[in-house]
Amino acid sequence: MSPAAIAVDHLSKVFGGLRAVDDASLSVASGERRVLIGPNGAGKTTLFNCIAGTLQPTSGRVLLFGDDISRLAENRRAARGMGRTFQISNVFADLTVFENLMLSIIGADGRKWIMHRPVSRFTAERAQALDSLVKVGLADRADETVKFLSYGERRQLELALALNVDPKVLLLDEPCAGLSPSERQRFSQLVAGLPRAITLMMIEHDIDIALALADRVTVLHHGKIILDGTPDEVRANAQVREVYFGRA
Amino acid sequence: MTARVLLLVAALAIAAALPSLVGEFWVTLLTQIMIFGLLALSADLLLGHAGLFSLCHAAFFAVAAYTTAILQVRHGVSTALAAPAGILAGTILSFVFAFAVRTRGVYFILITLAFGYIIWGVAYRWASFTGGDNGVTNVPFPAIGGLRVAGPTQYYYVVLVAVVLIALAYRVLITSPFGLTLRGIKSSESRMRSLGYDVGSHLYVAFVLSGLIASIAGVLYVYYNRFINPVAASFPVSLEAVLMAIVGGTGTILGPFLGSGIILVLRNWVSGFFHYYTAVLGIVFIVTVLFAPQGIMGLVARWRAGNRGEGA
Repeated sequence: MSPAAIAVDHLSKVFGGLRAVDDASLSVASGERRVLIGPNGAGKTTLFNCIAGTLQPTSGRVLLFGDDISRLAENRRAARGMGRTFQISNVFADLTVFENLMLSIIGADGRKWIMHRPVSRFTAERAQALDSLVKVGLADRADETVKFLSYGERRQLELALALNVDPKVLLLDEPCAGLSPSERQRFSQLVAGLPRAITLMMIEHDIDIALALADRVTVLHHGKIILDGTPDEVRANAQVREVYFGRA
Repeated sequence: MTARVLLLVAALAIAAALPSLVGEFWVTLLTQIMIFGLLALSADLLLGHAGLFSLCHAAFFAVAAYTTAILQVRHGVSTALAAPAGILAGTILSFVFAFAVRTRGVYFILITLAFGYIIWGVAYRWASFTGGDNGVTNVPFPAIGGLRVAGPTQYYYVVLVAVVLIALAYRVLITSPFGLTLRGIKSSESRMRSLGYDVGSHLYVAFVLSGLIASIAGVLYVYYNRFINPVAASFPVSLEAVLMAIVGGTGTILGPFLGSGIILVLRNWVSGFFHYYTAVLGIVFIVTVLFAPQGIMGLVARWRAGNRGEGA
């Protein structure tokens, strides 16, 4: 059997007296779509940050396709094929859409060190950038400065940035947060349409979107994983209904 | 685009004709404005592009100037060797000081401030080597081979050519992928990391390039001033370099030179009749920060956007 795309092995993250993530273990198969759910403060984003390398776990390991990456810096993990989006859109607000994409395209190789040729002369990269804009539905905004984009458009741009890294694993932290219902619909279709070659791990608060997208669902509560199962199992589980949906 | 090229050519033609139109006082002042504009430009590579507020650029400036002066005056080394040696010495120092990029924000400001004071202290206290308070005097005009600069007007042209060439190279640098990575870091470091960038090494290289430009300014300065003492390494020089960039407009090429012009003209003009010149300078900075935080170039950009009907 091929190793899991992402394996989290007895991972804990402690902030002072708070165990934000408490002895979590999970395994996401290659090509799988995994959704993390749980109430606010359950530790979902902290777990994400430990997987992406933004935070160092207090104990435990993270494995990417069987390799222990627990000690790798965030940028090294990105270079190994870990893409991510953030809970609050993290794009380069002062740069144009094209410049944002250019940074995502050249990040992995030596092109980022070129000093003697203006970015405007990189025509192949420009074509690639426009191509990635078409995929997320932002084709006509290439030369706009990002701070003039709507919130939904920034979400689309952020997804394009993460995809340009050519990720094997993509971590999406509440991609639909802050979007209008119609934008949510569009965006979740966009995510659903991503190629299966990309293993997806996603935090989502909208339970309908979450259960529709997921192959499997992991439920976190107070930093602990309380359930790991199919969407149907999650719907049926009494404990999840209690902590997540509240008592009926 | 062609309009900009025409504007550039016109500006160069005026710059070339100026020495025959104005007196030696202005030629000397313009030379000084270009040299300190270059120093401001070097500090602005960090401030305007990477978002790092450095307070040690006088160190590279002064180390380059001292090196060239000591080699040329005490050891009779020719300009052709003394000038590159000065640039090299300042740049090597920037390789060391560049470790400051491990810090951010106020810590970066403080550590560069401390670095700057170390060099000033050495220049001031190691009198047997640096000449102490008296510095190194009698630096000749530069001469390479049979070509000898004969006076301030000729030196004005030397500085003009050097500054224009560096500004053109700088323009390529900031529009290149590397330049873009610096602006990306300024905008969102965490996003850069998650795109696979080792942010620290990009900032390190930017710091060294910035030190290189400051060193070139230092060598141009020592042949202009023909004398170097610890004042060139002092804190106000570092601070003014950054403030010049802010007054003129950070993140631009023209801005640091405009800022240098405003501050040096004010200093030369106001200090002639008003004792509290630094107070006037303070007011200039306060007005800039309050009413034109993007500096003069920011005002120009806003005015042009307004003229195109895009709103301010």
